[in-house]
Amino acid sequence: MSRTPLPLLLAALGWSLLPLLWQLLTSLRTAEALVLQGAGAWLQGWTLDNYRLVLQGDPPFWRYLLNSSLVGAASTGLTLLLAIPAAYGLQRQRPALRGALSLALLAAAMFPYVLLFLALLELARALGWGNQLLALALPYAGLSLPLAVLLLRAAFADLPEELEDAARLEGLNLWQRLRRVLLPLLAPAIASTAILVFLFSWNEYPIALTWISRADLLTLPVAMARIAGSSVYAVPYGAFAAATVLGALPLLALVLVFQRQIVSGLTQGAVKG
Amino acid sequence: MTLLLLLPALALAAAVFLWPLLRYGWLSLQAHSVLTALVPVPNGGANWQRLLADARFWQDVAQTLRFAGLSVGLELLLGLSLALLLHRPLPRRGLVRAVVLLPWALPTTVMALGWRWILNDPFGPLNGLLRSLGLPAYGFLSEPRSTWLFTVLADVWKTTPFVALLLLAGLQAIPAELEEALRLEGANAWQRLQRLTLPLLGPYLLLAALFRLAQALGVFDLIQVLTGGGPASSTESLALYAYLNAMRFLDFGYAATVMLGMFALVLGLSALVLVGQAMRRRWAAAGLTP
Repeated sequence: MSRTPLPLLLAALGWSLLPLLWQLLTSLRTAEALVLQGAGAWLQGWTLDNYRLVLQGDPPFWRYLLNSSLVGAASTGLTLLLAIPAAYGLQRQRPALRGALSLALLAAAMFPYVLLFLALLELARALGWGNQLLALALPYAGLSLPLAVLLLRAAFADLPEELEDAARLEGLNLWQRLRRVLLPLLAPAIASTAILVFLFSWNEYPIALTWISRADLLTLPVAMARIAGSSVYAVPYGAFAAATVLGALPLLALVLVFQRQIVSGLTQGAVKG
Repeated sequence: MTLLLLLPALALAAAVFLWPLLRYGWLSLQAHSVLTALVPVPNGGANWQRLLADARFWQDVAQTLRFAGLSVGLELLLGLSLALLLHRPLPRRGLVRAVVLLPWALPTTVMALGWRWILNDPFGPLNGLLRSLGLPAYGFLSEPRSTWLFTVLADVWKTTPFVALLLLAGLQAIPAELEEALRLEGANAWQRLQRLTLPLLGPYLLLAALFRLAQALGVFDLIQVLTGGGPASSTESLALYAYLNAMRFLDFGYAATVMLGMFALVLGLSALVLVGQAMRRRWAAAGLTP
């Protein structure tokens, strides 16, 4: 197979990166420089003030990152806690039932979940969960479960059945078999599932938008939308751009570290889901 | 016994997915708004009559359809190209894949805000580019006729990596010997793509199309932050209209009706894609390749 032509590869990378580099560049320029943008203006008009403005805001920007991380971690934990036993249980069902349930889960995983926000908001109000950051983990886990169960079910299906039979003959009960024998072998699939659930929770918008109104509890996506709608950061967009850069950095780090898990999670979902 | 292990997960998923749909079914038969002091009062299908006659709803149906159609079409085309590109031997494979994935991993609202600056009139970089070419500035986000095209651009930028990775999985499942055999028969790259790669990629293309179609029909975050539905409601999507009905007009009965209308649209189009695929397969089996 021939190598990838370099110009095409560079075009693909540029397509991904240019919009982000533009944000970075914009975030480092003063308002005057952004308005003038004369050909000779490149030597002056550089500044870190935009970052200062965003980081010293009330609440400071890192607070949103912290909120999103907390929700992401709680949702991921809850999802795995429910999805691992469910995936095992699904794999042990008769083929007909397993097929029907898998199909229902696939349909749910594809569902445009934005449709659900109103009824979920009613539930949150009835239960007093508005402005409870960690309560978001419940809908997030519910929304992530279909994909998580499908991914983990496929991983269980890959393990030879003799393995569990042998462990059963050794006298291990279900919990011991899962913990000592099956789960260690499932670690890569669990990691892939975890990172996908974390990304979903980190990025989720409509539910966080309607459940959380207190400024210091906002998750990052909602805070970004609020910044976009506020007039505090006037046009031109130096401060907006600084916010987008700060909002993108944690994801950049995650993707660089976990790209292998993300790719295998997405592709496993396609191959076996 | 093993069914018990499934129950907690199924219960939570049902609470999140099924309960809302049942609730909307009931709500859509109630007057439930500020006019009824936010108390539900049965109104015998008046919401549904209103939906059928609601010009704004039908305009949003059309706008959502053109957005989803163009977005998903371009994403499949570009995603396939990107997947073919990434399928070859690559220098620094991990880094390249991470960079390609990045747009998909970012929160939609973050980059919607980013695109708002890039498309800004007159200070944004894209208008800077036009100016340096000696062209007049363009109101990318203020022309009711063309603004939707730029919402498509932002969506394609963000979700093409997802499609590309799904299709890459499909490409990697095709045995290299098959491609080699065709090559030895003298088939050129285009013929190999047509006769081998695309047919074997079929299930993956179908999955990517269905998944993206459902998501694009539900587009919300991107539109709300990038254009707010404007200019002159020309980019308003069904999800945004449903949201406005619930959260701004506080008309919950009608909001639920709009959402069910949208649900019917998603269901109907997905069924159409599946039936179309099945018929194509039957024709192909009968030797009538269209």
